[in-house]
Amino acid sequence: MITTISTNTVNKSTVNKSIVNEGQVLKGSSSRLNSGKNANEQTSQRSSKDIDVGTKKTPDYTKLATQLDAVKTDVKSKIGSEDAAYIRRVILAQRGCEWTGRILLMLGFIQPLLWVVGVLSLATAKILDNMEIGHNVMHGQYDWMNDKHINSKAYEWDIACDGSSWNRVHNYEHHTYTNIIGKDRDFGYGLLRLSNDFRWRVKNLWQFITYVMLSVMFQWGVSYHEMAAERVFFGKKKDNRKNQLSHAELKRRFFSKGARQLVKDYVLFPLLAGPFFLYVFTGNLVANLLRNLWTSTIIFCGHFTGDVQTFSAEDCVDETQGQWYYRQGLGSSNIKGGKLFHVLTGHLSFQIEHHLFPDIPARRYKEMAPQVQAIFKEHGMHYNTGGFFKQYASVLKRIVRYSFP
Amino acid sequence: MKALINKAAAVFFHHATWAGYWETVFQMVNPSWRDGYYQARVKSVSTLNATTVQLVLSPQKRWPKHTAGQHIALTIEVNGKLVTRVFTIASGQKSRQDEGNIRLVIRVKKDGALTPYLSALLSKTASKSASKVSVNISAPMGNFVMPKAALLDKLETSSLEQAAPEQIKPIVMIAGGSGITPFIAMLEGLNSASSDNLQSRPVHLLYFAKENEHLLTQELAEYKRLNTYFTYELLCRQKDGGVEQRLASHTDSHWMVCGPQSLYDEVANTHANLPPANDASLDSEHFAAFPVATAQTSGEKAFFSLSHNGSSLSVDNQQTLLTQLQQANRPVTYGCGMGICHQCQCVKKRGVVRDTRTGALSDNAEQLIQLCVSQAVTDLELQA
Repeated sequence: MITTISTNTVNKSTVNKSIVNEGQVLKGSSSRLNSGKNANEQTSQRSSKDIDVGTKKTPDYTKLATQLDAVKTDVKSKIGSEDAAYIRRVILAQRGCEWTGRILLMLGFIQPLLWVVGVLSLATAKILDNMEIGHNVMHGQYDWMNDKHINSKAYEWDIACDGSSWNRVHNYEHHTYTNIIGKDRDFGYGLLRLSNDFRWRVKNLWQFITYVMLSVMFQWGVSYHEMAAERVFFGKKKDNRKNQLSHAELKRRFFSKGARQLVKDYVLFPLLAGPFFLYVFTGNLVANLLRNLWTSTIIFCGHFTGDVQTFSAEDCVDETQGQWYYRQGLGSSNIKGGKLFHVLTGHLSFQIEHHLFPDIPARRYKEMAPQVQAIFKEHGMHYNTGGFFKQYASVLKRIVRYSFP
Repeated sequence: MKALINKAAAVFFHHATWAGYWETVFQMVNPSWRDGYYQARVKSVSTLNATTVQLVLSPQKRWPKHTAGQHIALTIEVNGKLVTRVFTIASGQKSRQDEGNIRLVIRVKKDGALTPYLSALLSKTASKSASKVSVNISAPMGNFVMPKAALLDKLETSSLEQAAPEQIKPIVMIAGGSGITPFIAMLEGLNSASSDNLQSRPVHLLYFAKENEHLLTQELAEYKRLNTYFTYELLCRQKDGGVEQRLASHTDSHWMVCGPQSLYDEVANTHANLPPANDASLDSEHFAAFPVATAQTSGEKAFFSLSHNGSSLSVDNQQTLLTQLQQANRPVTYGCGMGICHQCQCVKKRGVVRDTRTGALSDNAEQLIQLCVSQAVTDLELQA
């Protein structure tokens, strides 16, 4: 089929900018939500600190949606070659760090310091791959580029978790049902009790240790969790969720991607290094550990700081776009920091903006943040941000606080 | 070997291809290096008339040989986005062999407004000297080429070179507007053909276009001068009438038609209405009918055909594609239903969709779309 001329008749200039899609209903939220046992015990949105913040005025959701949509439209019109060049630069940096790291690991026998630099370099490469590249590309932030490799369908990352499994659970469950107890399984990862929405159990007493273990093993935690391990391996069923992939398929993905990672990091790369087997083996181990600690810390700071709110499934029935924005905004928290810090977090330090606009290229969150903050202020909504240490301390406090009934 | 290297890339660097893993690094040196595409240098960009631009490209060495009449997909980066359009190659093998060039003839919209695509290409070549600009092209594609075998029924197996001259069926080319491009390429091939049989094959061209908008007329005159077996008529429908009467005297020929859908329909009708005893056979290539869609509203209910993983169904322009695929019990992966989670994303091979959130229309070219926020605007081809 030849489409020589005719293909040109439609182009972007004819785009109609009808922005507001308020009144859009969060599909499928009504009938199948309320079955979880938590749902019955819940009251409306409450601050997890158990302090009554109900004195705040209810925002004008329609206006909120219009304003935030305007911020989005404005930034969307700017997205272009700069963003494409940026993500390619980050990928380039990732390749540089990865190869520097892998080569220096083997030179550890000359000078141990080279090994240390190698580990740091490799860890940086993994962090860039997981956060700024993997997470963001798999969110579809760069799908508009039409690039064969840089898009959410094709990208696979250097982590135990299978990309498409993660994509399914993270992009769908976590981003659609953010902080809705019983729907967003990222809230506490099924291991930690982080609000009164969950009944206290004895095992929560030592959940701080559980948390440390989770951080150390984060890539396995995410991998296991994303495939809803408790359901797949132990046959627990929740009838409020549809299984779109069979359990056998999920298991296959878990084991194949996980096993590939283990073999790659701890057998193949060390074997390639020949006599320097141990240098590479331990180097990979430490680099993975550093990456795990960093990513888990950043992610916990994004959703589990003290002021973050949780929601119940009933609150979100027939949710409008404005209410959705409201929930996304109050369920997330930002971390202040410098430019390099933001890149290394994959701009998840702008977790609020990320949750409001998950498919806008993350490097744009920085310029959106002041506008979002102003809009939140106008509506009397809490814009949860702070320095890294303040936010992290608040996370740790929360984990300890909910260890007890 | 290549498979082995790519396997290693998958194992060690979680990338499907080794070239894909290094792509951004290669692009440091050569910005238009792209895994899975061929490269071509832009030799020149010139205007043929007010509405037509001629683009001469020099493809890289490993680009496969094309046959006159085939087309390519031309990909360029417009503001960070890779945009692909399909064009017929308006030159034959000989110019590729002699000068290393291929030529595209591109029609620009009549109101003079260049499409963003072409203006990006032109500004690229304007800012640097044209020869430093590279674009990406696909391998040559398509089967709309001069028939190889002799066309008399009893001699189906024998090649044209071996056939006796009287056994060779004459050819009638029917071109509409810029549909002249494959024929120009075939004429070049005819002119430089190795065997007498190929050269002495009678070819008659019926070229329909709006008055004074016939393209490449000088070249046609030149081919006529060089080749006594080639004749042509420049026709204008208003003046010279329809296709049917022109074809009445060519019922013993092989017809080849390239042009807009309306022209093809007319020729196909004429062909179908011929008495069965007639000897005419038909090859065709026609432009996809491409309605100008308005972005503002989804407008009146209309139905389009949707090809989904090879099987087809009918969809309307009121509901989202996801809803309709689900109703038809097609296996689709989906998630949030509101355009956030990208679970229902799939590859649109061709066709235009409307984004229900913004009303924006997509390109006609291959790209990723989210089913839950897309409505059909034209016929579509999807691949999950």
